[in-house]
Amino acid sequence: MNRAILSVVNRTILCASATAALLLPFTVAAQDAAAPADYVSRAEYDKLKAEHEAMKTEMEALKTAVRQMANGTAPSAPAEGPVSAKARAGSKNSGGKEVETAAPAAAADDLRQEVETLKTQVKETFPGSTKFLLAGYGSAGFTARSGEDPFFDASFNALFLWKLTDRLFFEGEMELQFENGSTNINLEVAQASYLLNDYMTIGVGRFLNPMNFFVERQHMNWVNKLPDKPLAVYDGLLPESVLGAQLRGVIPIGPTKVEYVFFGANAPNLITSFDDPAAVGLLDFSNTANQGGHFAIGGHVGFIPIPELEVGYGIQRAKVGPRDRAAESVLQSVDFNYVRDSTLLKGLINFRAQWVWSRVDHFVYDPDGSQGFGPFEFNNKRKGGYVQMAYRPTHIDNDIVKNFEPVVRYDRLDQLHTPVGFDEQRWTFGLNYWLTPSAVIKAAYEFDDKNGGARNQDAFMLQVAVGF
Amino acid sequence: MRDIVLRICKWIGLPGAAILISCAAVTWLIGCASTKPAGEVAAGTTPSVAEKSGAQLWAENCVRCHNIRSPGSYSPAQWEVAMMHMRVRANLTPDEHKKILEFLKAGS
Repeated sequence: MNRAILSVVNRTILCASATAALLLPFTVAAQDAAAPADYVSRAEYDKLKAEHEAMKTEMEALKTAVRQMANGTAPSAPAEGPVSAKARAGSKNSGGKEVETAAPAAAADDLRQEVETLKTQVKETFPGSTKFLLAGYGSAGFTARSGEDPFFDASFNALFLWKLTDRLFFEGEMELQFENGSTNINLEVAQASYLLNDYMTIGVGRFLNPMNFFVERQHMNWVNKLPDKPLAVYDGLLPESVLGAQLRGVIPIGPTKVEYVFFGANAPNLITSFDDPAAVGLLDFSNTANQGGHFAIGGHVGFIPIPELEVGYGIQRAKVGPRDRAAESVLQSVDFNYVRDSTLLKGLINFRAQWVWSRVDHFVYDPDGSQGFGPFEFNNKRKGGYVQMAYRPTHIDNDIVKNFEPVVRYDRLDQLHTPVGFDEQRWTFGLNYWLTPSAVIKAAYEFDDKNGGARNQDAFMLQVAVGF
Repeated sequence: MRDIVLRICKWIGLPGAAILISCAAVTWLIGCASTKPAGEVAAGTTPSVAEKSGAQLWAENCVRCHNIRSPGSYSPAQWEVAMMHMRVRANLTPDEHKKILEFLKAGS
C-alpha cells in the first residue's frame, strides 16, 4: 500500500516537474513582454540588422584598404556608405545587450528631436510669416456732439514689421483716415532700430514721441479705453510722431526696472500767422521740413518698482520760431500707469493718468503790425491731462458679464490766457464689451464744460475697434 | 551740491525732479529689501526676472498696456517679429524677451 502511495506521489511530482519545464519558456517570455525596456521591436531589429550589414561592408572596405597598404599601394578613399556617423558611434558598443537597448533609445531620442525641429521649420514656412508681420488696428465709430452734425467715421492703421537680423528691426505704420471729405494717409512711423547691446537700442527715422507715454503705448484704438482720446496728451500739447534719432533701453535693478529714452528730432514750428487767430502761439508738430532749422532734444525716464506699476517723466526742449528771434519751448509730462488683477475685487483694475505742461518763452507776434494784430505777446503757458479708471470683472464666472468693462475719465486742458481763450474739462463715462482680447465695442457719454464763454459740447460716442 | 540740485530742478521742472528723486529712493529701498541669498525669494519681496516663468512675465508685462493675447494668435515665426517689436517699444529686458518668446512659441 505504502509502495503504491509512494509511486503515485512520485508520478505526481514528475508530472508537475514536466509541466513546469514546459511552462517555463512561456513564463520567461511573459516577463520579457512585461519589461518593454529590454524588448527589441521588429523595426529596431531591422535597423540593427541594417547597421550590422553596413558595418560588414565597412569592415570589408577596411580589409581591402589594409591589404592594399600591405601591398604598397595607396588605399582608395572608402565611399561613404549608408551608415551615418551617428549609427557608427552607436555600433561601437558591441556589448550585445547594450546595443539592443542603448542604441535604439538614443536613436529614438534623435528621431524625436529631428521631428520637433522639422515641425518648427514647417511652422516657420507658413505664408507671409518669415521675419515679416503685418499687424495693426482699425476702427469704425459714430459721434453725436451737441452743436455739430452727427457723423460716422472709420480709420485703419497698418503696421509693417520686419525682423531683418537678431539685432536689426524695421517698423512702419501707415494711418488712413477720413478728414474733411477726403481720405488722408499719414506716415506715423518709419523707423529702423538696432540693438547695440542688452541695454541700448538705437533708432532712426520717424517714431512715436517717446516722451508721451499715452502716444507711445496707449493711443491705439483697441488699447485706448474710450472712443475718443484725452485732451492735452493727444492732438494737443505734445507731438505724436517725431523725425530724428533715439537711444533707448532698460536697466533691470533687482526686481525693478528703469527705462530710459533720449532723442533728438526736428523742432516743432511756432505758429505766428494770424490766419487762424486762435492758433497763434501753438506749436505745429508736423514740421517735417524743419522750418527754422532748430532741433529738439528730449527724453523719458520710466520706473517700474513692481510689475503692476509704472511711473515716468518726459521732457522735450527746443528753440522755436524764426531763426533770428527764436524762443525757447519746454514740454513736460508725468505719467502713471497701474494695472492689477485683483482676486479681492474679482477683476482687472486699470488706472492711468498723465499730466502735461507746455511753455513757450517770451515772443512778440506780428512785431511790425503787418498782419493787423500786433505787436502782440502773451504768457504762452498751457497745461492739461487726464485721469482714467477702468474695471473688468474677469474673475466672475459668467461669460457675458466678465467681458464688460466700465470706464470713467476726467480730462482737461487749460489755455484760458492764450488766444484760444478758454479752459475745458470733461467727464466721460463709458462701457466696453470685449469680443476678443483685441476686439472691443465701446459706448460713451461725455459731459463737456468750457469757461471763457465757449459753448459746452456734450457728446455720445460709439466705436468698434479691432487690433490684429 | 545745493546749486546743482537747484539747477537740475530748474531744468527739468519741480514735478520731474520730485518723480526722479522718488524713483531713486524707491529703487534704493526695494533694492535693499530684496537682498537675499541666490536662488531664494525673500519673503514679502518681488521675485526678479530670473525667478519668473515666461508665462508669468507674459501676463505681467503685456497687460500693463493691453489685454494679453493668446499664444495661438500668431505662429512661432510671427511671434519672433512681434516680440522684437515689443522689446523695443515696451522696453523689455533681454531675459524677459527670451522667456516670453519661448513661452509664446511653445504655445502657438
